[in-house]
Amino acid sequence: MKKIFAIAWKDTIVRFASASEWLFFIILPILFTFIFAGGVPTGDEDNRIRLVVVDEAQTAISQEIIRELENSTSVRPDVLSRAEAEEQFDSRRAIALLIIPPDLDVESIQNGTAQMDFRQPPNNMDASIAERAVQTAVRRVSSVVSAANMAVDEAKARGAFESAEAEQAYFNQALELAKSLQEDSPERVTTIQGNTPDDFDYDPQANVSAGQLITWVFIPLFGISALFAYERQGGTLRRVLTTPTSKATFLLGTISGQVAMALIQMTLLVVFAVFAFKLNWGNPLGVFLILACSALAAAAIGTAMGTFIKSEGQATGLSVMAGMMLGMLGGCWFPLELFPPVMQTIAQIFPTTWAMQGLLDLLLRGAGVLEILPEAGVLTVFAGIFFGVGVWRFRFE
Amino acid sequence: MLKLLLIGIKDLKLMFRDRAALILILLAPFLLTLGMGLVTGRFSGGNSGISDIPIVIVNLDKDSLGNALVDVFNSEDLADLVEPTSSEDSEAARLLVDGDEAAAAIIIPAGFTQSVIPQNESAVSNQEITIEFYSNPSRPTSAGIIKAILDGFMARLDEMRLGGLTSISQLIVSGRISPQDANQVGEEMGARLRQNAAGNANEATAIALNTSTSEGEAVEFDALAYFAPGMALMFLMYTVSYGGRSILAEKSQGTLPRLLVSPTDSLQVLGGKVFGIFLTGAAQMLILIGASSLFFQLKWGDAFGVVLLVLAAVFGATGWGMLITALARTPAQVGSVGSAVMLIFAMLGGSFVQLDNLPAFVQTLGRITPNAWAMDGFTTLAFGGTLTSLSTPMLALLTMGILLFSISAVLFGKKNLVQK
Repeated sequence: MKKIFAIAWKDTIVRFASASEWLFFIILPILFTFIFAGGVPTGDEDNRIRLVVVDEAQTAISQEIIRELENSTSVRPDVLSRAEAEEQFDSRRAIALLIIPPDLDVESIQNGTAQMDFRQPPNNMDASIAERAVQTAVRRVSSVVSAANMAVDEAKARGAFESAEAEQAYFNQALELAKSLQEDSPERVTTIQGNTPDDFDYDPQANVSAGQLITWVFIPLFGISALFAYERQGGTLRRVLTTPTSKATFLLGTISGQVAMALIQMTLLVVFAVFAFKLNWGNPLGVFLILACSALAAAAIGTAMGTFIKSEGQATGLSVMAGMMLGMLGGCWFPLELFPPVMQTIAQIFPTTWAMQGLLDLLLRGAGVLEILPEAGVLTVFAGIFFGVGVWRFRFE
Repeated sequence: MLKLLLIGIKDLKLMFRDRAALILILLAPFLLTLGMGLVTGRFSGGNSGISDIPIVIVNLDKDSLGNALVDVFNSEDLADLVEPTSSEDSEAARLLVDGDEAAAAIIIPAGFTQSVIPQNESAVSNQEITIEFYSNPSRPTSAGIIKAILDGFMARLDEMRLGGLTSISQLIVSGRISPQDANQVGEEMGARLRQNAAGNANEATAIALNTSTSEGEAVEFDALAYFAPGMALMFLMYTVSYGGRSILAEKSQGTLPRLLVSPTDSLQVLGGKVFGIFLTGAAQMLILIGASSLFFQLKWGDAFGVVLLVLAAVFGATGWGMLITALARTPAQVGSVGSAVMLIFAMLGGSFVQLDNLPAFVQTLGRITPNAWAMDGFTTLAFGGTLTSLSTPMLALLTMGILLFSISAVLFGKKNLVQK
């Protein structure tokens, strides 16, 4: 037991010999969690197509058009200066651009000279949808003027006006009447939300906290492979042979030290999420079980990797790459529910998927210890298999 | 100049012979891009944007306006966007939405046309019959688009109805027709309006919309066009810091001062080393771009623009690599700080999550990274942009590079890095 502790302590000293280790141990995980918690897609954000609008008119009519666009269910207007809007459109950061010119007012609509510019890229479905939304908004805003114009035309069809002033007065009266009629217009569409089941449980802060925790803990645990390679390259592993230390004692010491550090790191990240996001992680025993099983599974994979990889440099690179890949494919970066169905099935072979599932069951679904036993069980199986491979293939030289 | 080139090419060769470095320079970004493609459905056809939105229309009205609305959704204009099916059963249509087989159901009740444009009795209907829009809450974007199309149709109807009512009222008030004639005139107008509604629901508005389409080919959104440069740029930062580490490693091993024994001045030695880092970064980016074009059929856009942007991005990134090297004391410090900077820049520069989704202060802070500017440029090119649309990111990257190189040069000078 003393040997195991000594080996674990030695590894801790080696790992934290450089102050920069703190960056990866706690600072970067916290930074990533904090920033991504507010930045990953939640499914609740405004998914309407962004329409860049330049309002050079600044008239009541132009403001009304923008208000109508804001009420649209398909586009969301983003009012910018002309230079900024054109720069965004030209650099393809905006899919559609509406320019309301300075001379747009009631008079221009009345005399038929009112116009606006709409720019779009070729053959773009989103831009076509935006164009349709603009036409609807314009129609709503201009319909009273159109109605007044129509009234004037109908009157003219039954005899000319005495003077231009009489025609204008007729138009003004019709406009007022149209406005009052529009206000009294009945709502002709009733919207009812269907009962489509939505199984997608998502909380950005919970998902990001759990996902970042797993990613940042799996990478250093995979890094056990680098520890083995470092000791093998330096000849220190061979030197252990001269001491009365068995293979099992050495492996247990190395792995337990790394797992203990991982548990400390995870605890710090759990506590951070509690204070920063007021996150309720659920059943403490369940959380400990999932974290411990995840750490064991990741350490086992790192051990197995260490028996295949020859140099420390390769081991470091592969650990980072494997950690990021498994984090991404296991739903730690983006919710698994957003993956294509076939990828959701394939993801079941990754330990990160089960670790994430277990934590989300506790965080979002209020699961107890019994409910997360399947996830803990699968992670333990991962640990068993990879430790088996690691012990079987491990050589001091 | 030749010496500078030789030192640069020697470093490039060394880097590409180092298998451990190749894992993070080429393999990791390539596999992570592949992973992004898999999880976003890029390889399973699940990323083709909004099209073929399934809807169900129940037309119980069977009159001109109900039929006109059905025609709108079956029009050629919407053929790619909407996939409408008809049903006679309102409840069955709702069940299709509940079962997530349709984004929405539009139920046009019997008597709808009559309620909007009454054929008999008075010109103003007292009976309000409303269309039911039964929306699928799990498909908010698709349902929103269908609702917008429906709203467009309703706005046209409302405009016609308003015109009719205003005209008749004004004709009566002005004495042009008698109240007794109102019904007859109203029916004539109603018939015209019905014909108009059935004819073209998208008839021009009172404000002309001058639509212009920009030049270039049509480009569909491709998630990989965002993630592939994101991953490549993230690991570009690894490459430049790795290169910087080699400068300090050579200094501590004594190979750098030894070079000065040869007829090579310190500026040439350092310039050659920096050139080597630049060459490695450019080679890394171009290999990744080539591989993603070959294996993922990813279209990066204008080839000349891509090459220039790669050079500018590598220049900016190399500037950062030099600054880290100039500030660090040991190769290990460059390694760990470089890795941290790689991850932080990837986060701030939008390699993991689109910058638009991140908080405003992160978007602003992200502008110090070459990742953010280069991502802007690559996205612009992928969406069909040309060299002229790259001016801002190119200028920013070049300015960044010049500024960082200048600061690094001063710091290198103070450290006497290449002294005998």
